[in-house]
Amino acid sequence: MLNCDQYLMPETLEEALAQWAGAPEGSRLLAGGTDILPWAREGRAGHVHLPVIIDISRVKELRGYDVADGRVRLGANVVFQQFLTDDELRHHLPCMPHCSIWFADDQIREQATLAGNIVNASPAADGVPPVFAMNGTVEIARLEGGSIVRRSVSSRDFITGPGRTILEAGEIVTAVTCDSMAGYGGAFEKVGQRRSLVISVVCAVCLVKLSADDKTFADVRLSLGGISPVPVRLDAAEASLKGQPVSRESVLAAVKTAGDLVRSRTRREYRGEVVRGFIERAIEDALADYGVALSPPEMKEAALANT
Amino acid sequence: MPTLDMEVTVNGRDVKRRATTQMRLLDFLRNELNLTGTKEGCGAGECGTCSVFVDGKLVKSCLMPAAKANGAEIETVEGLAKRGELTYLQRAFHKTGASQCGYCIPGMVMAATGALRENPHAGFDEIKERLGGNICRCTGYSKIFEAVELARDAMNGSLPTTALEGPGAGDSFIGNNVRRLDAPSKVTGALKYAGDMVMPGMLHMQVLRSPVAYALIKSIDISEAEAMPGVECVITADDVPGEDGFGVFVHDQPIMARGRVRYVGEAVAAVAAEDVETAMAALGKIKVEYENLPAVFDPEVAMAPGAPVLHDYAPGNIVKHIPIRKGDVEEGFAEADLVVEEDYGTQAVEHAYLEPEAGLAYVDPDGVVTVVSPSQNITHHRHMLAKIIDQPINKVRFIMSPVGGGFGGKEDMIYQGMLALAAMKSGQPVRLVFTREESIVSTAKRHPARITYKMGLKNDGRITAVEFRMVADGGAYGLSTEGVMRKAAILSCGPYDIANVKIDTYGVYTNNTPSGAFRTFGAMQAQFATESHLDICAGKLGLDPFEIRRINMMRSGALTHTKQKLGSVSLGLALDAAEKASNWESGPADVRGSSRSDLGKAGNREPCTLGSRIRASDGAGGKKDVA
Ligand SMILES: Cc1cc2nc3c(=O)[nH]c(=O)nc-3n(C[C@H](O)[C@H](O)[C@H](O)COP(=O)(O)OP(=O)(O)OC[C@H]3O[C@@H](n4cnc5c(N)ncnc54)[C@H](O)[C@@H]3O)c2cc1C
Ligand code: FES
Ligand code: FES
Repeated sequence: MLNCDQYLMPETLEEALAQWAGAPEGSRLLAGGTDILPWAREGRAGHVHLPVIIDISRVKELRGYDVADGRVRLGANVVFQQFLTDDELRHHLPCMPHCSIWFADDQIREQATLAGNIVNASPAADGVPPVFAMNGTVEIARLEGGSIVRRSVSSRDFITGPGRTILEAGEIVTAVTCDSMAGYGGAFEKVGQRRSLVISVVCAVCLVKLSADDKTFADVRLSLGGISPVPVRLDAAEASLKGQPVSRESVLAAVKTAGDLVRSRTRREYRGEVVRGFIERAIEDALADYGVALSPPEMKEAALANT
Repeated sequence: MPTLDMEVTVNGRDVKRRATTQMRLLDFLRNELNLTGTKEGCGAGECGTCSVFVDGKLVKSCLMPAAKANGAEIETVEGLAKRGELTYLQRAFHKTGASQCGYCIPGMVMAATGALRENPHAGFDEIKERLGGNICRCTGYSKIFEAVELARDAMNGSLPTTALEGPGAGDSFIGNNVRRLDAPSKVTGALKYAGDMVMPGMLHMQVLRSPVAYALIKSIDISEAEAMPGVECVITADDVPGEDGFGVFVHDQPIMARGRVRYVGEAVAAVAAEDVETAMAALGKIKVEYENLPAVFDPEVAMAPGAPVLHDYAPGNIVKHIPIRKGDVEEGFAEADLVVEEDYGTQAVEHAYLEPEAGLAYVDPDGVVTVVSPSQNITHHRHMLAKIIDQPINKVRFIMSPVGGGFGGKEDMIYQGMLALAAMKSGQPVRLVFTREESIVSTAKRHPARITYKMGLKNDGRITAVEFRMVADGGAYGLSTEGVMRKAAILSCGPYDIANVKIDTYGVYTNNTPSGAFRTFGAMQAQFATESHLDICAGKLGLDPFEIRRINMMRSGALTHTKQKLGSVSLGLALDAAEKASNWESGPADVRGSSRSDLGKAGNREPCTLGSRIRASDGAGGKKDVA
């Protein structure tokens, strides 16, 4: 069970930063609470008594999002359900509805923030691979001499290991900024034991854009979660697809470059097997979302036979 | 305990209360406002029994600190309809029989209400998606989805509201779709399960459990815990006045560990205090000194000579061995054209009833020790407890509270004894509510079994002999193991008429979590092996799987291997019906690939798609249906 001496609900960023800077050692920030509350249970952290909990879910500046200069700036309090229900977000982040539909359930999605998902830095976090793929940066703020100081870090540098980030004392994540992927086809694949309420064994995200004649790959974004301490962006596979004809062969060649990515502690062999088929499916589904079918299943079997 | 002042609107009424910073919204609703329709099935966001609306959004109240909801407008299942009335959805749940044990139902009704508020025209897939965070262990969901669709149509006017009425029994209950009498109390959240019950002066129990699998208890020091303010009593095995021991067959399990602990999670001591937090804190003050013993976790190892002995009365660690012999298997194998031998394994399974164990005990003014709990076996419990507390049977009373799912898992008197002892020692009512983690770690599982199956067959598919050996992990205590072994032996060869059989089932003690009763009571393990084996043999003989079963099935008048004469056998009819309903394409099962005609075509039975990803969008409102 989670207890604390004080539960604070600041309404402005400045207030939150001041409280956070002054909070005794061991205090925590809480957004949706969907990681922290289950953590404070038997078998994990057990009964936890924190000095201060600072609930940032009512901080005005962390709400909502903006789109400018080809980037989407998501306030830290944006929750996963918004990626499903907000038409503009669906337009700019076409992989996110697919990610969200696989994420927990309707009710948890109303509380769970993307920022919390990233700070929690689970190897299986579903929100992280898409953010990597969309060149995400994490915006961080702290108080220095009474004024707010901000810095921005690439999402790939932000997470350093399972549960570990570069966040320092007194810092709060204020936003996550991603490329607008408007016009791309998006897909998110997840292997788990059931549809809802399941943590990824492996997850993959793909975004694709084709040349004007739909014949070649103009841009492909790929990343994977659940297979290593930190999710990975498949730079080599992405590069190998760029400019290539849209065909099963190109896809399979790219999948091969994904090779030995699996570095998880458990079920390595299984995950390895899943991963290759998985990336292929992610690309195929992203193409379908783009409106282009890769090739009919018979041809798929034939192509597989040739590799 | 740090506190905060809560000002919220609950079901339309303004509420001002002091809460503690520890409370989740769930605790605030249940403990402060006595709104117990909101249940705690898991406490970790996984089950949805705690779903409520906060400012119009459906949330899991176990994941929300009460403080987070301060100032909000909250709606619980109790607020959906006026007293004495039911909403369309509640009526539909009643109509379709969507509530069974009912423990998931308030949460389901909330989730369904949320689904139809979000989209009054939600299609089947959207309904499924929106209810995806709510788990039911009883219904298989079909009736729940049926109810939501029915309510939707009645609300939209595409069905008359009379569609929500039940047809009633008419002249007879037989052949008529009679609605459950207890459904209204379940769909409104009014029904009180043991964990919802309170009594004046009630204490709260917490249990200290063994962290080790097998050890001698050198000492237990409860003095510091007992001295804590707010603690009314601490109990251990020393408080048992009578003959300690319970179990469905052999009474080998003490109320709390006596001298030795035999599995991780076994109760060692219990505290009754004025609140859960104090009781929990007191557990930390109990000092137990263990001396580890070599433990055994594999039943085959436990059966071997020299293995650690768990119970003095059973030197070979055998809880029960059931041997059955009929005919002469050696002759049968000699006669066979084909002999196939395979091993089969099944794992431990948790019942995961949505209602974790809970109970309330008190001593009534006449000195009758009374235990209220969702026990599946109150009469037997009553007799056992009378001996354990050394009271005449008329001084012991068991009241069965509504069972929020049992599936066999609530047959064992795993905690009722502790409650009785604490009520006797403190003189006050005492309640214990398990957490989900506690329920999983300490209560019985389905027996994991290893089965060696040897079958002899003629080329025409006739079985000539079966040798069946099953070794089941009974865990640390006997519970229902004896009965499970009996049933497994009786059903070992399935409904097949076999001249020569040699059957041995062994239930074995290990230091694993005890195994006990679980739906099918041993038959599942045996049937998994038998039916898998028949399919393998059919494949080897080039026979159709239905055919091999028809050749060997018992027919009316057959004598089973335990010498029971079967007056009528309907297996043939069942096989015919299954074959027809599945559009089965006849022939050996393992020789056709994806081209077979009985898969995925119109008119074929759909495979179960629960939990699968939704594919289609359902029109204008379908933007939430992605992928
Ligand atoms: C039943 C269930 C199912 C789940 N399913 C999934 C799933 O399918 N996929 C998945 O990836 N996850 C899943 N989760 C995990 C969880 O919901 C997500 O990780 C969620 O995104 C966490 O966000 P939150 O706002 O609830 O974080 P919180 O629990 O509030 O916080 C998480 C961590 O982030 C920190 N933090 C939060 N916001 C900030 C900020 N702005 N600045 C600095 N630090 C911050 C907190 O201090 C804490 O350490 C599930 C959880 C549950 C209970
Ligand atoms: S989801 Fe809250 S109790 Fe299970
Ligand atoms: S009726 Fe759903 S869990 Fe029993």
